[in-house]
Amino acid sequence: MAKISEKTHFNMSKINILRSVSRTLVAFFIASVATFNTIAQDSTAAAASGADAALIAQGEQLFKENCKSCHHVYEESVGPALSGVTKRRKTAWLHSWIRNSSKMIADGDKEAVELFNKWNKVQMTSFPTFTDAQIDAILLYVENAPKPAAKADPSASSTTAQGQSASGSSNDTLILGIVVVVLILVLVVLTIFISVIKRFLKEKEATLAEDDKELVNQSFDIKKFVSSKGFIAIVSVIFVVITIRACWLGMMDIGVHQNYQPVQPIPYSHKLHAGDLKINCNYCHTTVYKSKSASIPSLNICMNCHTHVKKGPSGSEDLIKQLTDAYEKNQPIRWIRVHNLPDLAYFNHSQHTTVAGIECQKCHGPIEEMEVVKQYSNLTMGWCINCHRETAVNAKDNAYYDRLLKVHEQAKRKGDMTAENIGGLDCSKCHY
Amino acid sequence: MKYNLIASLSVIGSVIMSCNHNFDRIPVHENPRSEYAPNMYVSEAYEPFTLVDDSAAYPEEYNVMPYNNGMNMRMPVPGTIKRGYTPYSVSKDSLEWANANVKSPLDTTEQILAEGEVLYVRFCAHCHGETGEGDGPVSTKLAGIANLKSSSLKLVTAGHVYHVITHGKGRMLQHGSQIESSDRWKIALYVKNVLQK
Repeated sequence: MAKISEKTHFNMSKINILRSVSRTLVAFFIASVATFNTIAQDSTAAAASGADAALIAQGEQLFKENCKSCHHVYEESVGPALSGVTKRRKTAWLHSWIRNSSKMIADGDKEAVELFNKWNKVQMTSFPTFTDAQIDAILLYVENAPKPAAKADPSASSTTAQGQSASGSSNDTLILGIVVVVLILVLVVLTIFISVIKRFLKEKEATLAEDDKELVNQSFDIKKFVSSKGFIAIVSVIFVVITIRACWLGMMDIGVHQNYQPVQPIPYSHKLHAGDLKINCNYCHTTVYKSKSASIPSLNICMNCHTHVKKGPSGSEDLIKQLTDAYEKNQPIRWIRVHNLPDLAYFNHSQHTTVAGIECQKCHGPIEEMEVVKQYSNLTMGWCINCHRETAVNAKDNAYYDRLLKVHEQAKRKGDMTAENIGGLDCSKCHY
Repeated sequence: MKYNLIASLSVIGSVIMSCNHNFDRIPVHENPRSEYAPNMYVSEAYEPFTLVDDSAAYPEEYNVMPYNNGMNMRMPVPGTIKRGYTPYSVSKDSLEWANANVKSPLDTTEQILAEGEVLYVRFCAHCHGETGEGDGPVSTKLAGIANLKSSSLKLVTAGHVYHVITHGKGRMLQHGSQIESSDRWKIALYVKNVLQK
């Protein structure tokens, strides 16, 4: 069985190599054709007069500022690909369309209505300020724009990005291991030493004194040692202490959910959305600066992007489909809340985010690096109190704290005013 | 001898017990860990966004209603008005009317613009870019993001910007449900008075 699997594995790797080689060949071929095309185009562009080149540059600038977000020259985007548009439509029609397309549609221009319907009835922004010369420059650029170089097969490169870094081994265990190895080595060296010295002394036994003889010939009686009172006492105390400590730690951990990492119904990646795409926490957790709860986003916020974005990293099409299906059925997703503070403690997000100005990451950890979110802090009472003792109150531009600051100064307390100084450790602050 | 023994044992004991308590060694776990006295942990009143439907672990009264998909969030009663809610009755199609007639209730002060910048970065910058040129990180995944500095958008009023944030336009969907009315005005004023300058 093992042999067979090895063989197939070998074959698979051979196939993979073949595949990647053929892929690179194809990519190289496409790229070379593309560069040839651009060279050919460049030469035609160079043939055009200098005035044209200046116009094209002006058109490119205008295109990038105004059109790029919805139109590409050679690819379809939100709107049609623009290459060859001057051949498809009359110049006068194009001018009036760019200046005010919605008016043309309202007036019932046949071509305009047809185009509007074909492109999902998305209205094009009107550009009434464009002069004739500017529109001509844009159109000239569109017809003379260089073709973008063909991209290499994206699936070929995506395999490298999949290996996840799994560097979880901490430095502490490494140091501990080194210490243990060193200690064992010392032990071995010492036993070798002892045996060598003993052998040496035995050879000269005759010359030794009576006491020394006893020392050399001493035999270690393990039975006697184990049954000695001192040994039993030490071992039993160590045992009792370790047991008590284990029980103590176990009890201390009750109700502490640190590292809780539930499996969500749809594996949403904070690393992708908050990390790579830099979507602010507040965009989805809409009430985090205003309310006690940070809120778990409802589906319409997901749909702000996923109405259009149907494909992400490999394998995400199905997941996005689950999301859109649930939205269409008007059925919420049962996201599992990760951070659950017990009911006996009160916590308010807005007090900490808006008033104190604390970053989300201070308590929630590097969320933007987490593929799956876990509870980063232990959320114990000691953890809360530590922060209230150490952190200075953010009293800047906040009139509420003016008198408290004055009292703090009058009392000549050391250091900045912390939450502890203004009653942040009172039982009733959080427990009522 | 006896005292020696007691002393050494207490030293060993205190060394073992004094190791720092470190919660970080709690391994990553998929299910919640054990709790102590759930009637003090789990709110009898509904706690927002919680899902307590483990009837084996908790008595019946801690379980959310089974007939709401197990969730405690409800649709508000029809006609409910959220506290602090400002209605905006101009319909989505009336963009041109809004452009001409909808005026900001807020004055354009430095503080409002500073707040507008913070809100712009939180709610808009990932698509429209920090400079407003439609080049935020999301623009690599989603085409059709408007360049807020384009010549046509420099012509529109803050009312237009407010209307578009509220109802959406083109490929942008409505953001009225997730950004409060006053915050939308702050963003609109920031876009008109700082970003496009």
